[in-house]
Amino acid sequence: MALAAIAVGLYWGLIVAPPDAYQGDVQRIMYLHIPTIVAAYLSFFLVFVGSCLYLWKKEKRDDILAYAAAEIGVLFTALVIVEGSIWGRPTWGVWWTWDARLTTTAILLLIFVGYLMLRSLIEDESRAASAAAVLGIIGALDIPLIHMSVYWWRTLHQPPSIFRPDKAPWENVAWPLLIPLTINIAAFLILLFYLLSLRYRLGEMREEIKARRLDRGG
Amino acid sequence: MGAWGFVSLAYGIVWGAILLYLIVLKRRYASAAAELAALRSAEVTSSDVER
Amino acid sequence: MALLRQTYLLLCKDLLLELRRRDSLLTMFFFGTLLLFVFHFSFDPAPDKVAEIAPALLWLAFLFTGTLGLAQLFQSERENHCLDALLLSPLDRGALFLAKTCFNLILMLIVEIVVMPLLWILFNLQTWNLLPQLFLVTLLGTIGFCVLGTIMSALTLRARARELLLPLVLFPLMIPVILATIRCMENVLRTGEFGDATPWLRLLLGFDVIFLTVGVLIFDWVIES
Repeated sequence: MALAAIAVGLYWGLIVAPPDAYQGDVQRIMYLHIPTIVAAYLSFFLVFVGSCLYLWKKEKRDDILAYAAAEIGVLFTALVIVEGSIWGRPTWGVWWTWDARLTTTAILLLIFVGYLMLRSLIEDESRAASAAAVLGIIGALDIPLIHMSVYWWRTLHQPPSIFRPDKAPWENVAWPLLIPLTINIAAFLILLFYLLSLRYRLGEMREEIKARRLDRGG
Repeated sequence: MGAWGFVSLAYGIVWGAILLYLIVLKRRYASAAAELAALRSAEVTSSDVER
Repeated sequence: MALLRQTYLLLCKDLLLELRRRDSLLTMFFFGTLLLFVFHFSFDPAPDKVAEIAPALLWLAFLFTGTLGLAQLFQSERENHCLDALLLSPLDRGALFLAKTCFNLILMLIVEIVVMPLLWILFNLQTWNLLPQLFLVTLLGTIGFCVLGTIMSALTLRARARELLLPLVLFPLMIPVILATIRCMENVLRTGEFGDATPWLRLLLGFDVIFLTVGVLIFDWVIES
């Protein structure tokens, strides 16, 4: 079933993209970019929720969820930055710029890569889980502050530049473009949940393997 | 690079990465499932032996 | 309040230990000074440019010095299973957090009080009258650093490659503080008063309050990991 979801998502994404109206072909990257961002933010939101639940109830499955969401979130965030960079090259002429949103996304990536490293570097599994949960919560709480400070930094001392338009609020997207955009967002969300369910089951299996190994050894 | 070049580059990288991750996930999944099956069957045989 | 009293007791213990051996304080102090020298040789700025980069250099020096302090923060607890003993006692974990944060804060403040004037001397800055305001900014920033740093230091206590993991995990989270303090200081140095930079000050204050509260509440879970 999940495989069908992916196929549909792929198909929709690729077929719907070509036949629409656009201002310059490069605009099409938006159909990739915005869905990826949505998926990434949702993943990190899940990390936050999973972390809170885990600290509160100590149920393994919340921890598995947080770990899975973090891994996938890191993947999507890295993709967001790559996409943004590729989109930026023809539009702004540069591969990278320290504009507010791009910078905040890069910082987000760093924080959650740190999360993954923290998990892998702590030997004891349950300690790793609670440590990562705390980091997840603090990271999530810090994000708005980071966004605010980076945004102020970029707008307080620099006049709003031409960098704003293309990364601008997607509410300003023209109507005919909205439909394929929504379809693509839906496709990516389906993809996200498929990846999440796979990764989550992997986590569950790993837990069971550990438990059985413990039984055998004991 | 023309505009379409960039678009295909972006799409290519994104879908390539997602596909890669999917493959890695599936491999890990398969090996974990295999290990789990082995552990489960070992358990069955050992409980047989006890009886 | 029991929380404050426990904090006070733990803090006194740490301060007494430190006064006797002084290893943390001395290493931090010399490292901070050393960094200033290294910066001077690396950057060698023209006299008029110095005021622009001085805040950044100062904060880089404090960041690395502070990280040094953080790495050693729980050292005395790791020896002889003191940490387990502390956890077994009916001590409020929040008190442990506050005490450790204050301890690192005091250490860093001592270093900063010396290093800041030192920077002014080494780089021939003239704006001595602005030091009090700059020190206020530094104080707020250092509080933020110590709060988050203590949490991260405790989180990474049993991780491998701890010395690398701690900065890796801490620095991205510190970015609001870094941005706020440096922008604030730049503004003060340029205009002689806070003015435009007041939002940054409020951000710093907000950051400190938020994470201080979070730290106290969450330290239970931090320390068991």
